[in-house]
Amino acid sequence: MITFDRVSKRYGRITAVGELSLNVASGEIVVLAGPSGCGKTTSLTMINRLVEPTSGTISIDGRDTAGMDVDALRRSIGYVIQQVGLFPHQTVAENIATVPRLVGWSRPRIAARVEELLELVGLPAAGYARRLPAELSGGERQRVGVARALGADPDILLMDEPFGAIDPIVRVRLQNELLRLQRVLHKTIVFVTHDIDEAVRIGDRVALLSQGGVLEQYARPVELLAHPASPFVAEFLGEGRMVRRLALLRVRDARLAQHNGSGLPTASVSADASLRDALDAVLRADGGRVTVRDAGAVLGVIDSDAIREASR
Amino acid sequence: MDLPRYFVDNWPTLGPQVVTHVEIVAMSMAAAAVIGLFLGVVAARSERFSSLILSVTSIILTVPSFALFGLLSIWVGLGNPPVVIGLVLYALLPVVRNTSTGIRAVDPAVTEAARGMGMNPSQLLRRVELPLAARVILGGIRQATVMVVAIATVGATVGVDDLGQPILEALGRSGGTLVQVLAGVLPVAMIGLVADGVLAVAQRALSRGARREAAG
Repeated sequence: MITFDRVSKRYGRITAVGELSLNVASGEIVVLAGPSGCGKTTSLTMINRLVEPTSGTISIDGRDTAGMDVDALRRSIGYVIQQVGLFPHQTVAENIATVPRLVGWSRPRIAARVEELLELVGLPAAGYARRLPAELSGGERQRVGVARALGADPDILLMDEPFGAIDPIVRVRLQNELLRLQRVLHKTIVFVTHDIDEAVRIGDRVALLSQGGVLEQYARPVELLAHPASPFVAEFLGEGRMVRRLALLRVRDARLAQHNGSGLPTASVSADASLRDALDAVLRADGGRVTVRDAGAVLGVIDSDAIREASR
Repeated sequence: MDLPRYFVDNWPTLGPQVVTHVEIVAMSMAAAAVIGLFLGVVAARSERFSSLILSVTSIILTVPSFALFGLLSIWVGLGNPPVVIGLVLYALLPVVRNTSTGIRAVDPAVTEAARGMGMNPSQLLRRVELPLAARVILGGIRQATVMVVAIATVGATVGVDDLGQPILEALGRSGGTLVQVLAGVLPVAMIGLVADGVLAVAQRALSRGARREAAG
């Protein structure tokens, strides 16, 4: 668990982060979101002490980071940035081996780890290990960046707008891959973005910051979208938040109408589909009702009232 | 008297002069590379030191070489020492400037990633900054070497028996001939060209070698 306790960062008279208190639970993805100048990146880099707080303490599992050896601290935390920052003179394999080499792993152990990580991020070692960063696409580079950050198997991963420079289609794919990785890895991830859609898609919790690093709201995405705590939050979330919220909810969780076996609507959706997909299906269906199926079995029927009820 | 004939006849004197010339250049450049690399790294870290050291080394380059060698010989005596010291001073500017420029040209995202992964300043320098700046640094050493090969001839004025000697003799005597001057100038030009060529090849091999090594 990462704990911010009244953490401030001031540059002269300018306050970048003001008295931020926040808990990041182990195994969760917490997104720091907000407009530029809200101190989200400053807050992130205070965790690995690339920026030192002016006051307050940040502790990891109860230990104050200020008292730790700074290099050892950073080697125990994965760090991914938007521009990736791969070493251009080193191969993909060498890049990924950076932290394991710094902490003195044996050669065979490093080689095995590099192969494992390339496999994990979907770049087969046979085709990629010996390539140089210049020979990769933007999406591939970012995957290598993630693999490099996972090098020595850190518990914590810091990601600073990692997909910000990637085109929208690949970005969504990388977001999904990150979520898939997280289901396997259970890391504690702090993720910075200015893109609220990315924040609610990726985050277990979202911390929304405003100018000067003021925490406006810290909540799960469904809660954030349903109940913005301030006009600032509502404005930052933008239009159509109830519809967007439907994308985060599962059909399975809605109260489905029971069926009597006959007269089932022909159109159907999967129980694991989002309520947004269900709404789309309902709007297209002739009778305004759709059958919900779970691996072939019929769970019930959903209509617009059920979706509306589930969304509140 | 024709030139090839002159070379053959005077080889007993010219041969050792070529050797001395190369030795003086090699010694000066070895020292200048080490000192320049160190000063260049410091200059890359500190803006104030950078402008100071670049001004000082630029000013040194404006001092006429025979005056500099003469001045230095007052303190360290005649012969090789004042010339080697003087040549080191002349060679500093290109080496310091290129080292500092090469390190500063490294992508800030790359150094941020390196620091974020827990490299300390010396690891950052050895594993990331110097390898990435190597090509530019070697370019500075190459430039300095070619310059120093030419200036070393002036060492003859303070008693160094290098390729400046035949030139000096020819100029100082009423009976001096063009052939005598060329006997000094042509080998100097040859040494300069060879040194430039060798370092150019090294420069290319270094950037390729760094990649091949990383791939292996």
